[in-house]
Amino acid sequence: MPYRSTRTVSSFRVRVLRSRRLAGDVFEVELERPDGFRFRAGQSITVHVGGAARDYSLCNAESADTLLLLARRIAGGVASPLLCDSAPGAIFDISGPNGMFTIALSDLPAVLTANGVGIAPFLSWLRSRAPGPAAPVTLLHGVRRAEDLLFADELRAGCRQYVPCVSREKADGCHYGRVTDWSRDKLSPAGHDFYLCGSRQMTRDMILLVDERFPGSRVHTEIFF
Amino acid sequence: MRTNVGTGDKGITSLLSGERVPKTHVRVEACGDLDELASVLGALASSLPVAPADAAAGVKGEIAAIQEELLRLGAWVAATAGSPAAAALRPPAEEPVRRLEQATQRCEQEAPPQQGFLLPGGSLAASWAHVARSVCRRAERRVAAVPSPETLPFLNRLSTYLYALARWLNHQEGITETVWKP
Repeated sequence: MPYRSTRTVSSFRVRVLRSRRLAGDVFEVELERPDGFRFRAGQSITVHVGGAARDYSLCNAESADTLLLLARRIAGGVASPLLCDSAPGAIFDISGPNGMFTIALSDLPAVLTANGVGIAPFLSWLRSRAPGPAAPVTLLHGVRRAEDLLFADELRAGCRQYVPCVSREKADGCHYGRVTDWSRDKLSPAGHDFYLCGSRQMTRDMILLVDERFPGSRVHTEIFF
Repeated sequence: MRTNVGTGDKGITSLLSGERVPKTHVRVEACGDLDELASVLGALASSLPVAPADAAAGVKGEIAAIQEELLRLGAWVAATAGSPAAAALRPPAEEPVRRLEQATQRCEQEAPPQQGFLLPGGSLAASWAHVARSVCRRAERRVAAVPSPETLPFLNRLSTYLYALARWLNHQEGITETVWKP
């Protein structure tokens, strides 16, 4: 037998079931789940539009009947306007699942840190857990305005500690500032398992903070553009 | 999608398993050599003669598959044993090793018997195969410093394959090998 590649890429053609705006420019898009499509919480799919491809993290449970993703509608973008504005029945080509951003609790305290739609993989993880007590994690969600906090009640109920961080206005029950500010001031200066999902800037700032203040930590990242 | 965010300017980077380590860490060094090997194999694939077309396509396919396996090994080496990240990876398998052995055997059967120690060189493609072989040996030494014995059989067979491939390529292009005379 000749030496051949064993890599396989799974591609599917799926229909949109619904798309709805959650807040600001953030939409929740529900797609058909192809037969045999399996994913792990934290993984993403690629949506192919023309010659372009864009990745979106799934935010529903691993066992769900559909695929649910969070997308920020970028005016003039290649894929997100088509996806977010799509009507039920619209067809998209997708591939996946992609990525290794999966959460595995360890002996280190877990700190899940997201900004914006970077909350998607953490939602997926929480929704995939068996019913029971709140997950033993600290979840930081950074947004600019309080109205951008998504699924706050669900996240508060699902995590041992939920910290919404709002950077541009003061809001009841929220930390006023960035996730990095809260981490610097409130987290013990010891080793943690940091899971970072969000913008390049937030990821960079958190990693630099980890190097400076949290020796013995591990950092796991997924970056949204 | 993971991408560079400019956090390594102070000589620290992340392993796949998340630990922040100096860029001189043995796992980082090993990953670097595996990366270099995959790149050299790309140069080798680009330098293959276009004829005979079937043979060139076959070797290109072999090299692409080897590059993919090297990426898998890189991920394995980049994750600390026993970590959640390592547990999520598929351990190196025996099948790629067996396929390398078969490919090596094919090259050896089609090339003339070896008459002594050979000076690395010959055609451009064969020369790249020798470069890849020597980089592979270095990668093997680096990986041997990491507690990851599962990866070593593939690298050991790969350097043998690259040596056989260099000889096969010279034979295909009608180039006489230079025997070292001490």
